[in-house]
Amino acid sequence: MNIGFIGLGLMGRPMALNLRKAGFALSVWARREASLTPVVAAGAVARGSIAEVAAASDVVFSCVPDAPQVAEVAQAVADGARPGLVYVDMSTIAPAAAREIAAGLQARGVVMLDAPVSGGEVGAIAGTLTIMVGGEPAAFDTVRPAFEAMGKSITRVGESGAGQVAKACNQILTGVGVAAVAEALNFARKSAVDPARVREALLGGFANSRILDNHGQRMIERNFKPGFKAWMHQKDMGIVMDEAHRLGLALPAAAVTAQLFNALVGSGMGEDDSVAMLKLFESMSGGAA
Amino acid sequence: MKIGFIGLGDMGQSMARHLMQAGHDLAVWARREASAEALRGEGATWCASPAELAARSEVVITMVTASADVEALVLRDDGLLAGFAAGAVHVDMSTIAPGTARQLAARYAERGVGWLDAPVSGGPAGAREATLAIMVGGDAAILARVRPVLEVLGKRIVHIGAAGAGQVAKACNQMIMVAAIEAAAEAMSLAAANGVDVAKVRAALLGGSAGSRVLEVMGERMVSRNFDKGVDARLHHKDFAILMAEAHALGAPLPVAAVVWQQLNALMARGGARQDTAALLTVLEAMRTA
Repeated sequence: MNIGFIGLGLMGRPMALNLRKAGFALSVWARREASLTPVVAAGAVARGSIAEVAAASDVVFSCVPDAPQVAEVAQAVADGARPGLVYVDMSTIAPAAAREIAAGLQARGVVMLDAPVSGGEVGAIAGTLTIMVGGEPAAFDTVRPAFEAMGKSITRVGESGAGQVAKACNQILTGVGVAAVAEALNFARKSAVDPARVREALLGGFANSRILDNHGQRMIERNFKPGFKAWMHQKDMGIVMDEAHRLGLALPAAAVTAQLFNALVGSGMGEDDSVAMLKLFESMSGGAA
Repeated sequence: MKIGFIGLGDMGQSMARHLMQAGHDLAVWARREASAEALRGEGATWCASPAELAARSEVVITMVTASADVEALVLRDDGLLAGFAAGAVHVDMSTIAPGTARQLAARYAERGVGWLDAPVSGGPAGAREATLAIMVGGDAAILARVRPVLEVLGKRIVHIGAAGAGQVAKACNQMIMVAAIEAAAEAMSLAAANGVDVAKVRAALLGGSAGSRVLEVMGERMVSRNFDKGVDARLHHKDFAILMAEAHALGAPLPVAAVVWQQLNALMARGGARQDTAALLTVLEAMRTA
């Protein structure tokens, strides 16, 4: 299977490298030369445009910031696509936008899957991403071997847009979860109890979670380096809340959490990891001392 | 003054009528010609398009629903922008996104046409009684020219700042008001859960520090369970999308407004779009008996 990859950023680059490692022939394009260097060194072929990438590929992946960029890549892929090409977008965008782009491509003979991921840069490097897929079963089966080179848990959730719905659910859980862990650890500290000991104790009980384990540890170490940047989580919570408005759906806990992310970004912590939520809570209640 | 008016809904009808009664030469255009029938009978001139309306008017007032509606009125092929002569003024009194107001102001400025965003508070009753609060964004000199027109419609006219600033003030207004409606509903719900007479609680509180216009008007609708009159909750729901998008774009936390927004979402899902926002009480009742 010949594969194309567009969007060689923090997530996209290690994903593309894992595809090469699994032995797939890989075509890439990027605006900046520097983005191409590491994947070309690993044996990928740099093409002159996205359309040229598409012309050389059976499956094209993209991993870009937001819906307008996905729409742009999708058009360029369709311009160069051979009949039967599958376009797989792994970015996080609104479900409605994913459905609309997929419908537009269908009219041009290109099948699209939405396949957003969870697991962050660490999961992308290790090839252990969780991949949530929306779209036709046949296309999913075609692409599965490539998914397996990038991720561990791969699920076709439903029709077009369903992958993005699952990702929105993921962001509700991780967003509210990070806030809950930060509140609990700040509560312990303010009560003059060692947060590290509290975390350790809770990991054995019903409140145990990946977020308490992983994010909790980083809060205790005061390691706010990303990981997953707070501004990206803010963007994703914006998608969630727009969907809720459109559907007429109350998401009270997510709504407050979205405001906490607004505060993180507004107070200049957007480039920190989401675990910086701890600093926000500290400063709301008189500081860390 | 030669005035054009678009948006002959519940509030617009009253406002247009006041302008005629004050002696202004009024022209109208409407998507549905029938909605202009009453005013034409009272002497308003009918125009075939927004452009035609703009071409004959010194000032055009619009009072429509959403950002996209105002944008379309201005920018469509036979829209206001195509008809206005330099020196004319568009006063938009709808509630729309501040960003849309700023963009339209800039488009008009290229052609020497003035713009004011002048959203109002006071509802259909305020429009009927000409007691609206009007919050204005735009050039002070333009407001000075238009002020006598606005004084026909409202009592309190405040220049907030540059284009878009009127809409920012309106967003603040909506946030305070709907949060207050939710607070009144929660108070009524707490009283009811205790088996206490909610009418008496309302009456008592009106005399104290928690007394407010919202508790008076919306509180009465909650006590009498009459949600049919007033302002459609769907309009407040729309306004919350605007102000929460601003909060997102600016990185400004609005924790209380965010939760109130969710209660509005639930009210939409329950079929309350055309009920008064006092029906937020019914969302709490559904949560209590779930």
